[in-house]
Amino acid sequence: MRYTDFTPYDLVLLAQGLGVTLWVFLVTTAIGVTIGLVWGIVRFYRVPVLTPVISFVSEFLKNSPVLVQLFLVFFGVPGLLHVDMSPILAATITLSANTAAFIYVIVVSAIESVGRDQIEAARAFGLTRWQVLRHIIAPQAVAFSAGPLTALLVNQLQVTSLISVIGVMDLAKIGANLNLRTLKPFLVWTAVGALYYVSAKLIALIGARIEARLRAYAAFRGL
Amino acid sequence: MLIVENVVKAFGSLVVLDGVSLTVKPGEVVTILGSSGSGKSTLIRCINGIEKLDAGRITVDDFDVTKPRELAEARKRSGTVFQLFNLYPHMTALSNITLAPIEVLKRPRAEAEAEARALLASVGLEDKVDVYPAQLSGGQRQRVGICRALAMKPRYLLLDEVTSALDPEMTSEVLDILAKLARDGTTMVFVTHEIEFARRISDRIVFLEKGKLITNLPTAEFFSAAGGLALPRVAQFLSKMQKA
Repeated sequence: MRYTDFTPYDLVLLAQGLGVTLWVFLVTTAIGVTIGLVWGIVRFYRVPVLTPVISFVSEFLKNSPVLVQLFLVFFGVPGLLHVDMSPILAATITLSANTAAFIYVIVVSAIESVGRDQIEAARAFGLTRWQVLRHIIAPQAVAFSAGPLTALLVNQLQVTSLISVIGVMDLAKIGANLNLRTLKPFLVWTAVGALYYVSAKLIALIGARIEARLRAYAAFRGL
Repeated sequence: MLIVENVVKAFGSLVVLDGVSLTVKPGEVVTILGSSGSGKSTLIRCINGIEKLDAGRITVDDFDVTKPRELAEARKRSGTVFQLFNLYPHMTALSNITLAPIEVLKRPRAEAEAEARALLASVGLEDKVDVYPAQLSGGQRQRVGICRALAMKPRYLLLDEVTSALDPEMTSEVLDILAKLARDGTTMVFVTHEIEFARRISDRIVFLEKGKLITNLPTAEFFSAAGGLALPRVAQFLSKMQKA
């Protein structure tokens, strides 16, 4: 006999799934942003050898499906290097690297969007490359990148659902299990979708707030 | 002393400076005239080290701008005011002025800020201390630009067409300040199209033509029939500018 009704415990399961999704999202975002930022700075200093390598890796990560990358890390790497790979580790590595590739693009374009003339002025006054990066470029680049960054993170949150395929018990996986048990796909996936939606909306909202604050200096106060 | 020796600078096949030599003594106001594209701005950009020289040498108080180790010292001795202001848009007027004194000269923040306030007051902007460049008029922005250069206590003030982006009213706001600086004995290298003003404040006038310095004369002599006006190119330039 098969128990197909919803139970209060399903809510706990959904909450746990949401927790795993958000945790994976936050951790991979933190790692991805850090790596992408370092890559961007390496490119700013035009470090030989390293810069083209980073560009190549970033291109590869951007132009192949996340699912393929996930399979490569989860199934391919353990066989090749004879190491153990848990689903959560594979998920963390793949999503962090993928986020880093896109963050790198955002960082590069944000740095390039800062006017050359101000950088020249700062250099003429004797500021070092690092001081220019810190005081002139970084504050403006952060403001420029807030919008694209928010859009990227909203997308990356949805992308986390792919990790359910390799068995991570995230929100999508819990949804799939719940669906198999209750056979009420419309209800289950609506609920799961709503939870993703609310989380994404929250990210977008926080992003918009931060962007408004960062760009306060350029705010149009006329008319 | 600011010494420019046989400087050559080319962008690709276009030779912008073709063996320019010039000496500026402390206390002097030297104006650089010449039509657009004659290399005036490039000369300023070579002196402050934004452009690398292809040949020749520039020393600022004996510090050679072509040597990376000496460039930092040379840059501490010159302050540039730019045609398009080049202010830092994300910083208030005050921070625009204090950034280099604090970071480069390692001045204490409180001291640098007090001086910046005094400088802003001296150009009539005491009420714009905490305002961002976007909220200032062109003339006000350029006055902040001048304060930013002066805050470095430069031995040589480099002025690169500082009024070219301003309307006549704003131009006079800025020129009044420069006239005062000239009276106070500030050493200036002044690239401009304001010929009448240059005539009033300059000790010497040099004329650039297609990257070559074709004359370098005391002001009165430059404007005399036997001096600068004897050169057809200079006479032609001056008559065109005065008509405009």
